[in-house]
Amino acid sequence: MLNVKEMLEELKASPYEEIEIRTPHTGVVQFVGLKAGDRVLGPTGKWNEKPGTLLANLTREKNKKPICATQKGAVTDIAAELEGKFVEAGERLLTIRHFLSKEEVIARILKKALHLFCAPERAKYYFVPEIDAKIKAGGEQSVKLKDGMEMFFVSRMKRETPLAYSGPEGIIYAVYFQQGDNVDGGQPLIGVCQEAQLSLIQDVVSRVQGEWEEQD
Amino acid sequence: MAAHRILIANRGEIAMRILRACVGLGHEFVCVHTASDAASGHVRLARELGGEQSLRRIRSYQDANELFAVADACEATAVHPGYGFFAEDFRFARRAEKRDRPLIFIGPSWGVIRDLGDKINTKRIARSLAVPTIPGSDRPIFDEMEAVELAEAIFAFQDEQGITEGCVLVKASAGGGGMGIEEVYDLDTFRSVYRRIRNYAKRNLSDEGVLIEQRIFDFNHLEVQVAAERGGKNAVHFGTRNCSVQSLGRQKRIEVAPGFDPASLTYAFDAGAVLDSITRHSVHMAKSVGYDNVGTWEWIVTPKGEPFLMEVNTRIQVENGVSGVIARIDGRPETSGGVDIISEQIRLGLGEPLGYGQDEVRLEGVGIEYRIIAEDPADRFTPCLGRIERFAWKEEPWLRVYTQVPTALPGGEPYDIPMDFDPNLALAIVWGADLAQAMERGAEFLKGLVLTGTDTAGQPLRTNIAFLLARTETILHF
Amino acid sequence: MDIDKRTQQLAGRLAYIRDIFGPRENASVAMLKHRLEEFLAQAPGLGMRELSQQVARLEELFSLLEGKLENELCPMDRVRIVRHPQRICLKDILENVYDNYTEIGGQDEWSIDPGIIIARATIARRMGKKTVHQSVMVIGQEKGHGQEFRNGGSIKPWGNANALYYMRVAEVENIPIHTYVFTPGAFPVEDYPGAAQQIAKNLYVMAGLKVPIVSVFSEGGSGGAEAIALADRRLMLSHGYYSVISPEGAAAIEGGLKDKASPELIERCAERLKITAFDNLRLGFIDRVIQEPPLGARPEHYEFFRELRREVVRATDEVVHQAQSLGPLRALAMRRKKRTADPQDIFVRWQLGAKARHALVEQRYAKFRDMSRSAFLDNRALGVRLSTALARGLWSVHSLLTHDLLARYKKRFSGLLEYVEAEMRALGQGVGGPFTLLSGGRRGVPPETLECLTTLSCPEEGACRLDDVWVYVSPKSREDRTLTCPNTATHGCLDLWAPDLFGEFAGVCSHCGHHFPMEFHWYLYNVFEFAQAYEFNTAIEAGNPLEYEGFGLKLAEAKRATGLASSCITFEAKLDGISTVVAVLASPFRGGTVGAAEGEKLIRAVERARIKRMPFIMYSHGTAGIRIQEGTCGVIQMPRVTMAVRRYIEAGGLYLVLYDTNSYAGPVASFLGCSPYQFAVRSSNIGFAGPGVIRETTGMDVPPKYHRAFSALSRGHIQGIWDRRDLKKNLHQALLTMGGRNLYYR
Repeated sequence: MLNVKEMLEELKASPYEEIEIRTPHTGVVQFVGLKAGDRVLGPTGKWNEKPGTLLANLTREKNKKPICATQKGAVTDIAAELEGKFVEAGERLLTIRHFLSKEEVIARILKKALHLFCAPERAKYYFVPEIDAKIKAGGEQSVKLKDGMEMFFVSRMKRETPLAYSGPEGIIYAVYFQQGDNVDGGQPLIGVCQEAQLSLIQDVVSRVQGEWEEQD
Repeated sequence: MAAHRILIANRGEIAMRILRACVGLGHEFVCVHTASDAASGHVRLARELGGEQSLRRIRSYQDANELFAVADACEATAVHPGYGFFAEDFRFARRAEKRDRPLIFIGPSWGVIRDLGDKINTKRIARSLAVPTIPGSDRPIFDEMEAVELAEAIFAFQDEQGITEGCVLVKASAGGGGMGIEEVYDLDTFRSVYRRIRNYAKRNLSDEGVLIEQRIFDFNHLEVQVAAERGGKNAVHFGTRNCSVQSLGRQKRIEVAPGFDPASLTYAFDAGAVLDSITRHSVHMAKSVGYDNVGTWEWIVTPKGEPFLMEVNTRIQVENGVSGVIARIDGRPETSGGVDIISEQIRLGLGEPLGYGQDEVRLEGVGIEYRIIAEDPADRFTPCLGRIERFAWKEEPWLRVYTQVPTALPGGEPYDIPMDFDPNLALAIVWGADLAQAMERGAEFLKGLVLTGTDTAGQPLRTNIAFLLARTETILHF
Repeated sequence: MDIDKRTQQLAGRLAYIRDIFGPRENASVAMLKHRLEEFLAQAPGLGMRELSQQVARLEELFSLLEGKLENELCPMDRVRIVRHPQRICLKDILENVYDNYTEIGGQDEWSIDPGIIIARATIARRMGKKTVHQSVMVIGQEKGHGQEFRNGGSIKPWGNANALYYMRVAEVENIPIHTYVFTPGAFPVEDYPGAAQQIAKNLYVMAGLKVPIVSVFSEGGSGGAEAIALADRRLMLSHGYYSVISPEGAAAIEGGLKDKASPELIERCAERLKITAFDNLRLGFIDRVIQEPPLGARPEHYEFFRELRREVVRATDEVVHQAQSLGPLRALAMRRKKRTADPQDIFVRWQLGAKARHALVEQRYAKFRDMSRSAFLDNRALGVRLSTALARGLWSVHSLLTHDLLARYKKRFSGLLEYVEAEMRALGQGVGGPFTLLSGGRRGVPPETLECLTTLSCPEEGACRLDDVWVYVSPKSREDRTLTCPNTATHGCLDLWAPDLFGEFAGVCSHCGHHFPMEFHWYLYNVFEFAQAYEFNTAIEAGNPLEYEGFGLKLAEAKRATGLASSCITFEAKLDGISTVVAVLASPFRGGTVGAAEGEKLIRAVERARIKRMPFIMYSHGTAGIRIQEGTCGVIQMPRVTMAVRRYIEAGGLYLVLYDTNSYAGPVASFLGCSPYQFAVRSSNIGFAGPGVIRETTGMDVPPKYHRAFSALSRGHIQGIWDRRDLKKNLHQALLTMGGRNLYYR
């Protein structure tokens, strides 16, 4: 059984996450005058339609693109020496120290409670079209899973093979991977919530709501 | 000639060969790689030959913007696309030429790539030059009556040729990747198949055009290696190669040059005349369309010895080495062991003249190329992922091995096969004075090849070496 | 009356005055306040008689100063009067103007849209000694003295749909319709039937409604007003306003939509927009002004209701008279008594005969056709005007001959020919049958057929078929730079190189299909074959009819920058051999807004298409709505053009609308939205109000992609979405598969 209290304590001891902001591609970097310690915001708005705080601009082939914060937090370490330089793809620009929000804490605890369906091998994973459509239309929780149900396409070496779900019946509670990104073998793909677990999840949610104090 | 700095917009084995050719010709180079491909042999080789400043990490090999941005940042003057990726992308070539800071695209000019990049267009150009093409339509058909007439004609044509089981291919002209394509064996079902394909095309591709072509089973797949200089005045060929040994998905595994060998084999038709005809047609067409780099004319030859042009590959091909190994150029002693077609390509791409004519090109001996791949021939050629621990062979003067696997290099460390790319490990080319000697040497090489490792499940790594060896025995039965 | 009550009333009047004059300092108001306070301070120490004298004096003073203040009202004050909770509302009118009524559109908050009231009402009239109850359909917005659920008279699409339904009922029952406009504007929701689309439907139906319609304006806010105000007689209350946009909205646009506009700017805008009853009367959009008591009518002004009753009855009578000739004696009597007499003393039957119903609609069209004629610049020489008129006449005759008279015989004749041919064929088959059976098997294929299998087909087309497809290439394609597709985050599109994107790709992301905006020239040349087209009415230029301050300069700048005289381009073009009339609203010219010049050009184009019997294609390259600086001269184009469109469609034409980039507001809510065939270019936005305006007016956040073409398609507003590269093909196919009976090119 899950010891929610213990896990909460553990998270409280180090309630931060360090998010490294890296260049998505090559280009010339221009910072926008942020200093270490400045607070930044992630995407906001009812539909997350407003992008986060502008961190830097990256210009490639005369196309200046903003790099925005993905989470709220404080800027800790800026690679200021890159200002005005042409950088390679994946270069670290700065780090954001992000204080975990309630939702994230819940997600972290639940990741230990849910039935995790893991990637059998390193590959790219995609949902089969029916499930993908369902998720897009009604959210992850709208998908009911049964043992043996075709759920993924595994793409390796440009070949695609189907992968069936195996495990207890339930609904998809969380998706832990990005479609089209490489997933290492053994990494969880989805968290499945069985019917019997619903009360446990309620419990986790209410505990975290009550006990976790969000900081800016 | 002034030294250029050439951006190598590719990876793996071909990047390494281009890299060596650049160094051989006295040009500088810039290599790119992605984060997941940092262990590839081409990265290591570039570091050795050009130092850290000749290497740039990019997001993806398939993002043209990355390549041009790196080219500008490194002040490259030319770009070599290798094969795959941007090799046959006329837009990439056009952009290289038309951007504010132009780059020389080492390949044919973009107009040629565009004209020959489209199969239907190639067919029309070929027909306008009286080059034989596969019987069927050379433009999308929109009218059912016309389609039926064509199908009728194709069945009659096959009848006449003595093909007992005639077959017509119906495909959506905007389709691709095996979608919207069907075979028809008799006229009665043709109409319904035609309608099905047309409706499919209308619904999914919003283009009703349908192509109708003769389906040819059981053929020899021959290629003519052509090289032409900028301006399109002079063009030569380096003979033919036969690519008939393929895996299930029509992926080539063994190539033999020349395409037919009438000296050691007997054919049901005049093989020499066929070779003569297809090389002549290929060079004629290259000159007519103003082709201005190396390229490959792909032909199919029916069991009765009828050649049809299938398509033109406006790029360097994987198997260019097997044609190079049998070619010699009079007056150029460095080609006594074969012509390096990649060096020729770079030379021609940068605007140098060919410097020789067809008369000075001699073809000598027989070359066989093997593609060594981590795959399981017993299981539908499924790729096998894993780690290579040992990769070694005995060097011979008649043998050339190209590989990006750093394990094979001196002091090479184990190598994890990256999963984002084809699992090609190496290309090996053997040369013999005649077919028998080449086959013997091929078998000798394959038997002596050491390639071991483990797959992701901890099992021994599976490769196609045994398959290649087995097919070497039967290579004669084209 | 009780002194307390009277002082309370006075206090109420003062509060009302102060509400109306807002924050402005005014000597009269200050005096009234001072006097009232003085009186209230003294009051406890005064005797009864003294009190009553003082109150009477105060009351006199109030009346006097109210009369004085009346003359000081500025347009914005009138807006405040109209919006004041004490303003008369439709319920008051139903109770006081009509003799009896039954609500049929719902009851208070139990209504599909409580903001609108629909009622059957009667007006009693004397005929000799008899009393006749004449029925009317009363429709109008209800502000309900500030009742929350009325939504301030801002009508949702379904409210307008309900109104439309009962207008049709009135038509069936052949009774007049009285509409009362009390709306600040329609509520900008897109849910079916959609704010814009429903207003367009209302206008379209009202354009041809065969019963008299009389409308009375109190608060006429743009599109929301038009939904019920396309009438044969348009009356206006003297303190009302009728405007293209609320002064606040205009100020927000002037001020740049970012911050709240200052009160001064709002006042200025109200002034410039010419929104008052007398302004509108002068401009000709209103037939008559009904004088209200000083500082506006409130429910206690019973005399005003009697006046209103006289006016609506007279207006209805006039409409009926105009449509059908009147008995000579009654006409004489009417003329003589004209204004003074109570119109209800002379009985007029409000039911119309068949002929009169037809005449009514014609007169309505003529009435609107004549509006706003001086609101644009017509630079054509007199000779040109005359010859155009002559050519028009000739074309009408020509069409009548070729399409109506000759076509009938031609059709009959070709029908006969087809019949004979079919008979002959049947005969031939009967004879030929046995022969084909005998020959059997596969027919021999002639050698030339075999040859065609391996030789070049259609050599005249040349071997190479991959030339550049576009006649016109955007100048944006000359720049060596890259652009990012807005769908990159979700679809993983790579950056696009501008020369590829704006050249070969026609502005379409090659990965996800997102359409980047393209210049209207691209469509003119690549879709409508503008190079071979005949453009007409180029001399009609957009003007500044209201002398809106500073707008003349902006207009001149727009003309200079775009080389256009108005945002509308009209021309005749051949699409794959089919002659069509095309009208384009070009976005770069003042945002593609529609004013009097554009309206006039559109009407002329529609009429041209009607006379010459051609399909009419309306391409909205982007329109931000009605040009607000033209005020009601702009708004009136909504009914005007819609009426022309209706005449065209009823004459058998095919009217096709194509939306691109962003099309919002007035045009969509009228002549664009009324088409039965509306298509959109991918990635375009269609709606009633843009996200900024929605946030401004309703305070709601708009979900991203709320107005996207795909959303509009799923709501049933449009009929399909086309890829820009296939536009020509799709238009041609649409011309072949859709449309009215007049498409003789088939």
